[in-house]
Amino acid sequence: MAKSETNHPAKASSKKETLSREENLKQLEFQKEAVVHINSLYNYALHLTMNPDDAEDLVQETYLKAYRFFNSFERGTNCKAWLFKILKNNYINSFRKNSKEPGKVDYDLIKDFYHSIKDTRIDTSEADSDYFHTLLPEEVYLALQSLPEEFREVIQLCDIEGFTYEEIANMVESPIGTVRSRLYRGRKLLRAQLESYAKKYGYNTDTDQ
Amino acid sequence: MNCNKTRVLMSVAVDGELTVKEEQLFLLHLSECEMCRVEYEEAKKTKLIIREKIVRFNAPASLVTMIMQLSDVDAKKAEGTLSL
Ligand SMILES: [Zn+2]
Repeated sequence: MAKSETNHPAKASSKKETLSREENLKQLEFQKEAVVHINSLYNYALHLTMNPDDAEDLVQETYLKAYRFFNSFERGTNCKAWLFKILKNNYINSFRKNSKEPGKVDYDLIKDFYHSIKDTRIDTSEADSDYFHTLLPEEVYLALQSLPEEFREVIQLCDIEGFTYEEIANMVESPIGTVRSRLYRGRKLLRAQLESYAKKYGYNTDTDQ
Repeated sequence: MNCNKTRVLMSVAVDGELTVKEEQLFLLHLSECEMCRVEYEEAKKTKLIIREKIVRFNAPASLVTMIMQLSDVDAKKAEGTLSL
């Protein structure tokens, strides 16, 4: 029912004024609905491309496409999910071919990402020797990156971006059951990885420096 | 429900995506099984740690500006050509 608006021909150029008013409205709505998600999209693009320049290009292409096809966005549904889907498709179609092999992690980049971040172990002086608190952001990042893409992807979409299973299923074009089992298996792998990092610190020995 | 089945559902439970029926069975098992209760707490922590420790970056200001202009440029173009 909402889709019936798509066929407004606007044949004559005498309609220029109303058209640009229409465009103005579209722009406002676009900025309100879509542009507000730019940080999430940028972070998603960073995780996919592992490269700030590529991430920028990817986000830009995504928004360009999203704006063109904004009429086909179903009002009332999750715009962020819609944008993520476009970004993912764009990535598959134009980026992935040229990017580095999957699983190859750019450690310099990660160091750049995290070099400004202070050691968070200091301010978590909780007496409980919980190894989770000893982990550094870059370790968690590396652990996540070490997962096979299909697992990493669903964890990212679920835990970081907060999408529902239904939205994720739609994005990765798999049934919800698949999303469930990927999350389960991915988290299992992830925890093993995190625990191995934590062991490095001897989290159980409770050493005082 | 046994421990294995419960472990699989744990991942779903931390996301709040269990069906009503699953949730009943899940909670019932937790109430009877200490090991799974501990495990469930760990599962919740794993989700939390991803959320808390993965650093979020702001999109560069230049990119934001560009996106705002993008819709302007596209609008102007559309006025002239009206083609997709
Ligand atoms: Zn059990």
